[in-house]
Amino acid sequence: MYNKKFIQLIFSGFLFSFLLTSCFKDVDFSQAENLSMEPDLEVDLLYYKLNELDFLDSETSAYTPAIRDTVRLEFLDDDYIQDGLVYAALRFKHENVFPYEINTNIRFLDKNGRNQFNVIYTIPEGFEGSPAVIDTLRVLEGDEIQKMRRSIQMVIDHEVIGGDEKLQGNLKFMSKGLFRFEF
Amino acid sequence: MWKFAPILFLLFSLNGFCQNRPLLYGVDDLPQALMQNPGTRIDFTRHFGVPFFSQIHFFAGSTGVSAYDIFADENTDINDRVRRVMRDITAGDYFSVNQQLEILSMGWKLSDRIYFSAGIYQEADVFAYFPKDPAVLAFEGNADYIDQDFNFSDVSFTGELLAVYHAGLNYKFDAKLTVGGRLKIYSGIFNAESTGNEGVFRTVSTPGGPNFYRHEVRGLNVNVNTSGFASLRDEEGMTVDEAVAELMSRSLLGQNIGVGADIGFNYRVTNQLSVGASIQDLGLMFHQKDVENYNYFGSFETNGLTPLFPELDGNEATIPYWDIFEERVDRNLNEETTNNEYTTWRPLKYNASFQFGTGMSILPCDYLISKKPRFMNIFGMLFSGVNRPKGPTYGVTAYWDRKVTDRLRFRVAYAVDEFSLTKLGFMMSSRIKNFNIYLAANDILGYTNLAKANSASLQLGMQFIFKDL
Repeated sequence: MYNKKFIQLIFSGFLFSFLLTSCFKDVDFSQAENLSMEPDLEVDLLYYKLNELDFLDSETSAYTPAIRDTVRLEFLDDDYIQDGLVYAALRFKHENVFPYEINTNIRFLDKNGRNQFNVIYTIPEGFEGSPAVIDTLRVLEGDEIQKMRRSIQMVIDHEVIGGDEKLQGNLKFMSKGLFRFEF
Repeated sequence: MWKFAPILFLLFSLNGFCQNRPLLYGVDDLPQALMQNPGTRIDFTRHFGVPFFSQIHFFAGSTGVSAYDIFADENTDINDRVRRVMRDITAGDYFSVNQQLEILSMGWKLSDRIYFSAGIYQEADVFAYFPKDPAVLAFEGNADYIDQDFNFSDVSFTGELLAVYHAGLNYKFDAKLTVGGRLKIYSGIFNAESTGNEGVFRTVSTPGGPNFYRHEVRGLNVNVNTSGFASLRDEEGMTVDEAVAELMSRSLLGQNIGVGADIGFNYRVTNQLSVGASIQDLGLMFHQKDVENYNYFGSFETNGLTPLFPELDGNEATIPYWDIFEERVDRNLNEETTNNEYTTWRPLKYNASFQFGTGMSILPCDYLISKKPRFMNIFGMLFSGVNRPKGPTYGVTAYWDRKVTDRLRFRVAYAVDEFSLTKLGFMMSSRIKNFNIYLAANDILGYTNLAKANSASLQLGMQFIFKDL
């Protein structure tokens, strides 16, 4: 009888003490504060293909060498996005078939229309079957990223150098952004 | 020949796979064995559980990651560890939590052949596959995954909280065969499920296309069904007491109802060898009250925004390209909240076992074959599984069950399942007069440091068990 109780006690004590002494070891849950999501997002921005009609007045057919448009990039107008953005690489690619150089100014404006940064280049003249290609990368990081954080409008200005009503050709534009975040 | 049974048993055990509550399966002097197999052989004539304490069961497990993998106290960046885990883990890995609390448990012998048992228990069950693709997209973005699919089907989870009212019969057909069945009525307290989702997000490189990429959402069809959630969410200012009262009222068959059954048998092939099998929770929950469904569906693709360079004078506003884009998105990717009734299957569990007894003894046991020989050592193997949204999860347990005396019994088990290849379990059941207390812990190696364990489970309880002769 003594032996039975002894065995019983030993087993019970062993099992209970084993369970009670179980614990989480070798871990530090306070590291959770340092957890961050760091996604790199590749996002298409603007694209278009202009032809000679885009440089003619729709009513008078008068030649208009300078054209402009503004696009709001609302996805950048968000506190969460702006606070988390740490790096941006913007890529702009033009393919010009117009036989004239084209001055290009791509501007990024804040919500009040103030210029934050811009990318300026001249697209060389091209020819049918042999477009002039200009591929530009603008990286914003470190202190400069503030400019991207404030930017929510993208303005594109084109000015054809020379040319007239007989302008023929097209201008293709592609753009994308690589946005790196730390949330 | 039978001398080699323990060796064969150990060899077989090294080739198996395991899960469930194997430490209580087939323990013929515990009423909880009837909950796993209503047709199991039993060795008592009456039982009455201590309310709320006759079984407390808790299980938690993760197949792909442990707390240590993420929160290891070492000089490396936690985010690097998260990335490493996300690289290694698959969409088939899962997290699972199951908890049961027996509120009432009782039973008694109706005749020489029939044992009746009934009770109420509360159960919480959460099962979620690791949503790998959405997680990778959120943590790493799409830049390194151009031309690859992010599958929404990786989002798959079920979660439920319910009370179960049950009554069962254990019928001794003859000296060899015992069969049993149990009817269950489920009283749903809370349910959320999202399974069978479809659709992909993809960023496609488009050389020769209008822009660098095309972003696509194809065949999106994601549904989240909930019951018992909307009313709690809308009850702003509800106190804890009120919330508990509300949940209690639902557990009393006041909300969503379901029905189910357990069936099982045990067959003595020889005096020493027996086989058994059971299925549990073959049942349905009908979610008809307090239901809210969230549906996301459609397809969409874009290459970006296209400025049109309109002729504007200085005072004219620019074209709201973004608003137009958003309208297009809203037209093609739809979000809908409905209140449609839905039905869910309970997670079906199945067990199949064989066991072999050695060390014959004459003890006053087994009310159906009282004073018949029984075995002090039982070697057994249990194959078990649970149906889950993407297919069953399996496990195999091999055990040695030792009856030290008629009042003291223990079981040592080794199991292999999707959580661990080295799952050791220990169960002890003791009876002092008619008061029984038992404690079982599985994956006890993991208890030495739960942070490194992929799973842990514990069952304990106390009850009155009578073995009237």
